[in-house]
Amino acid sequence: MTLYEGKKGCAYKVRDMLMEEGLMRRLQALGLNEGTDVRLLNRKKKGALILSVRGTRLAVGRHISEHIEVEPEEDER
Amino acid sequence: MKQDRHIHVAFVGNPNCGKTTLFNAVTGAKLKVANWPGVTVEKFEGNIEYEGYQIKLVDTPGIYSLSCYTIEEQVTRKCVLDDDIEAIVNVVDASSLERNLYLTLQLLELGKPVILALNMMDIVKERGMEIDLHRLPEMLGGIPVVPVSAAKRTGLDILLHAVVHHYEEGPKENVMDYGPELEDKISRLEVMMQARYPSHAMTRWHAIKLMENDEQVAGEHPMEITNVVDRSYEKEIIQKKYQYIEEVVAETLFHKERMAAGTDRVDRLLTHPVWGVPMFLCIMALVFFLTFAVGDFLKGGFEVALGWISDGARALLTAASASDWAISLAVDGVIAGVGGILTFLPNIFILFLALGILEDSGYMSRVAYVMDGIMGKVGLSGRAFLPMILGFGCTVPAIMATRALETEHDRRKVMVITPFMSCSARLPVYVLFSEMFFPENPMLPAFSMYVIGLVLAILVALAMNRLEKGRINDSLLIELPEYKRPNPRTIRVYVWNKLKDYLTKAGTTIFVASILIWFVLNFGPQGMVAQTADSFGAMIGKVLVPVLAPAGMGMWQIAVALISGISAKEVVVSSFSVLFGVSNANSAAGMQTILDNIRAVDPSFGALNAFCLMLFVLLYIPCAATIGTIKKESGSLRFTLGLMGFWLLFAWACSTVVFQIGSLLF
Repeated sequence: MTLYEGKKGCAYKVRDMLMEEGLMRRLQALGLNEGTDVRLLNRKKKGALILSVRGTRLAVGRHISEHIEVEPEEDER
Repeated sequence: MKQDRHIHVAFVGNPNCGKTTLFNAVTGAKLKVANWPGVTVEKFEGNIEYEGYQIKLVDTPGIYSLSCYTIEEQVTRKCVLDDDIEAIVNVVDASSLERNLYLTLQLLELGKPVILALNMMDIVKERGMEIDLHRLPEMLGGIPVVPVSAAKRTGLDILLHAVVHHYEEGPKENVMDYGPELEDKISRLEVMMQARYPSHAMTRWHAIKLMENDEQVAGEHPMEITNVVDRSYEKEIIQKKYQYIEEVVAETLFHKERMAAGTDRVDRLLTHPVWGVPMFLCIMALVFFLTFAVGDFLKGGFEVALGWISDGARALLTAASASDWAISLAVDGVIAGVGGILTFLPNIFILFLALGILEDSGYMSRVAYVMDGIMGKVGLSGRAFLPMILGFGCTVPAIMATRALETEHDRRKVMVITPFMSCSARLPVYVLFSEMFFPENPMLPAFSMYVIGLVLAILVALAMNRLEKGRINDSLLIELPEYKRPNPRTIRVYVWNKLKDYLTKAGTTIFVASILIWFVLNFGPQGMVAQTADSFGAMIGKVLVPVLAPAGMGMWQIAVALISGISAKEVVVSSFSVLFGVSNANSAAGMQTILDNIRAVDPSFGALNAFCLMLFVLLYIPCAATIGTIKKESGSLRFTLGLMGFWLLFAWACSTVVFQIGSLLF
């Protein structure tokens, strides 16, 4: 599944990222890599969502979230 | 011991980690600080003396990485790579150590002395987290790690002490290992670098950048490397760094799971999928309500003082038997023009106080998220909305803030629409004409200007997007900081800077403009004239009357006011003050005088005409300072001139449509 299909409040692990080089590098520099754990804090029905990544919050648009392949994680919360 | 006791130090760190606050605290400078990423877009320098050293400090725009993907990254990277920079103070937000250390690892690879300033330790404590201050430096190659609080100004001396001493000690060995395969390639590249460019100081950094396929590094030091680097290893290098950071964090940071729940609670409301946009509009409405209501409440004192000064100056000059023209210049020209503007100071104060609190709270990034859907439809990311909000304060810093946008194309688009956000200089015009022509409900037309400006900005962006067949932009990417209680010191500096700008403008641009206006209104081809109708100003204005008449502004006095308003928007009000000899346009008596005079010239000039005038002032060519900034930031005279033409036509068209339709209805 992609991050865009994720549910609010759930945790995911990044499997793969497929997007333009420059954008992907910027996300990777922000700590969003293959294998990174993320949590979906908030989202709009169609559009941007707010992620918790490595202790910080990022707002990302649909273009980004649709191109990040994730798998659900056991929720420890 | 070095001979020259000068040290050149750069402050480098992630966006919004407190570099500028720290820079201000250390140097005593008063640079703008706010709680959203991307406030600093240019580097700033400051000098201090410490333990006999002359330290030259450079504040840089915040970056996440030493690559070249954004303007900020390019500016900062150029700065730290400069041979003049002898030491780097890496400012780190201790409350998000994991992400911040990524840049730290890159800075360490440069081989220059790095001092880690661990900022926001108070927040770390508040959240119940702990950082092992012994283990952390050990894992970062033995660099000094100094806990500081930029906001509370603690740890600054220790930091400077570390700068001076670490500078003398010089750099340490490599911090991290990329594994046998990558390290082998790196050392082979290093050997090649040393052979080809023997004087080069940062071979390891360059080797790693070559592995990442960094075009700039490859271009500056060309080498045949295809036998070593067959593809970009950037992904692996980034991942290795984060793997190492995970090790560091595991050993040095404790209780990190205790996240700030407060921010999440507030965000549930402010970034709500449905209520987010209405909440934003309510917050902005509150800001403007306070600006008008509280500002008006405060202005009483100003009126009295200005009356005294005006009467006193007239009496003094008469007693000194000054000539009539000198009295007229001082009282009707300078005091009317400049003083009239100063009476709006309370409104300006409240506006910037409110905007300052908003910027320091952490809400600004949320606005980018909340508005992303609407902005996306016009082909811009939600980030483009940040410069637009800044435009409510002043268009000049708003234009500068467009640097944070991804592409040059987006920047230009935002430059077209940002002046439609009513800046503080338009405020006096709105206040004056609303109160004169809408006495029952003056706040409504003034408010409507803010809303109309916002709506037109979005519509124009939409039209541009349609014209170029652009698509929906949905690649928003912005960090959302924690909410925090606004820092009184930060707000004070922010508001004081803005008031100072306003006063400076009153003392320079508006002062000169007032004298010029006085001159063109009191002199004609025959010398000094008794009736302004015979003056140069009237001659110029009358030429434009036929053009302005369809927009409901067919008075030569308005033409003069609008032309002079290009110097600064407040000058529109100054012009009316000088024209009708009013010393305080922002008082009941002053407004009555202006109103009587306007009615004397054109008895049919009513509320609709006033509304069209306000609309025209909102949309037509922005002030000279804005034009200069756009020219500088876009680097294109053609673009700037084209924009001026567009704004003028657009303003005229909008006012004309409103006036013609309005005339039919009322």
